[in-house]
Amino acid sequence: MNFPLAVDIAFILLALFAVYTGWRVFRTDSMVRASFFLLLSFIAVGAIMLLLSAMYLGVAMFFMMGVEMMVMALFMVMFMMNPAGLNPMMMVHQHRLAIGAGIASFVIVAAMALLARFPHRPLPADLQAVPSLGNELLGESMLIFESVGVVLLATMIGVVVLSSQRGRYGNAGEGSMPPGLEPGGEPAGMPAKDDEEGGGHHHCH
Amino acid sequence: MILDQLVWPLTWVLAALVLGPYLLAVLDGLVARSLGPTRGPGIWLAPLSRGAWWLIQHTNVTEAPDGRAWRLAPALYLALAAGGLALVPWSRTWVATDIATSLVLWGSIEALATVVIFLQGWSANTHLTLVGAYRYVALGLSYILISMFVLIGVALPAESLALTQVITSQQELWNVLRQPLGLPLFLIVGLAITFRGPFNLADSTDLAGGTSADVSGAQRLVWEFARSAMLVAFSGIATTAFLGGWLGPWLPGPLWVAFKMLAVLALLAWLGPAFARITPERCVSLMWVVLLPLAFVDLIWAGVEALL
Repeated sequence: MNFPLAVDIAFILLALFAVYTGWRVFRTDSMVRASFFLLLSFIAVGAIMLLLSAMYLGVAMFFMMGVEMMVMALFMVMFMMNPAGLNPMMMVHQHRLAIGAGIASFVIVAAMALLARFPHRPLPADLQAVPSLGNELLGESMLIFESVGVVLLATMIGVVVLSSQRGRYGNAGEGSMPPGLEPGGEPAGMPAKDDEEGGGHHHCH
Repeated sequence: MILDQLVWPLTWVLAALVLGPYLLAVLDGLVARSLGPTRGPGIWLAPLSRGAWWLIQHTNVTEAPDGRAWRLAPALYLALAAGGLALVPWSRTWVATDIATSLVLWGSIEALATVVIFLQGWSANTHLTLVGAYRYVALGLSYILISMFVLIGVALPAESLALTQVITSQQELWNVLRQPLGLPLFLIVGLAITFRGPFNLADSTDLAGGTSADVSGAQRLVWEFARSAMLVAFSGIATTAFLGGWLGPWLPGPLWVAFKMLAVLALLAWLGPAFARITPERCVSLMWVVLLPLAFVDLIWAGVEALL
């Protein structure tokens, strides 16, 4: 069963949706919204990959991006001091550089799409895309993929360790300290230490 | 052919989508009655009257919510549940979404559910709903790895990522016996993805309803319906992955699937109230320190079993 027209229409709609939501990422004013617009854009790209018979890669795009954008939204809210992400903020910066880079990459990609010669090789009917992808990943290219995987994991752990060493209220190892009421002042809201009293006597002033 | 590939599978998916949540509510009523002397309207009518009450209730508004996301979140959660149900093979031929990677697609539905539940709590722009949303993300990121390892374990003997192949690989022995750790771990995932019972961190009473604290009216109805529908879809996948799906003597396949799904739903409806809710911090520790290593053991077990 083949519906070339339906596939074409689905491709055009998904491509437009991907571009629209990708544009919205930069027009919205909240990091959480921006993350989820990006997620919508990636989901549309994943669906296009399904249309291209990349059955595993398309579906993998859904769950990879689902978890990734969720984690990204969460970490941006945590580290960028914009609690809850509902506060309006400017999502774009370095305007000149960004506009230049955008135009340059658009021209390059559009030139590739128009000028490059793409091979016209229809998939053989008996091709099993998922097993052949698995054989590639865990066969001849196993060393490459496994080393890249371990390097990425080490990078992620390292970045979290480095960035969480100093939290919002001071060094992570020293416990939470609220900032002072004036720059360099005493931590606000902390009860004064009475050393002479001792004996686990804690109360709020 | 169109009857086999489109009409019958879709009929079963839609019937399960409508009847499943209702039957789950009835089961909840039965469990509640058996655990305590509750007096009220009959268990068969109570879900309908509660639904009608939500439907005619006025819809609450909060201060400066993200309106579109807030209205869409319950509908998206329901859409994910319907997508999950569409993956369930009702018989060898009646499969609504028969793709080579249906097992992975269920994994992505679990991942996207985390996003949708977070959106429900975040976009209301109120305190308690936001706490519920963050709690759910902590829970969601914890259970998703357990779910993936358990599902990979199911795919190993089938040598395929298609749910139909997973069922045919259980001809001799169902996965519930072949991989004894699999189903218990997966049931925990089911309770977590619908935040019921011990894993009700997102919509719990200590947050006055959590992510749905400020949601009322038809929006609330869709949210609660979607929560139940997601558990129905989950029971369909659990049936497929561990209980042999359509396999069974005498009766036609779709009926076997429906009976097994009901059995899983009844078990989950009992498990929910039978265990006390766990504190969020301890819940996350439990997931990473105890249940995730158990999922590793399950995966190693499945791998060794597949090699032998």
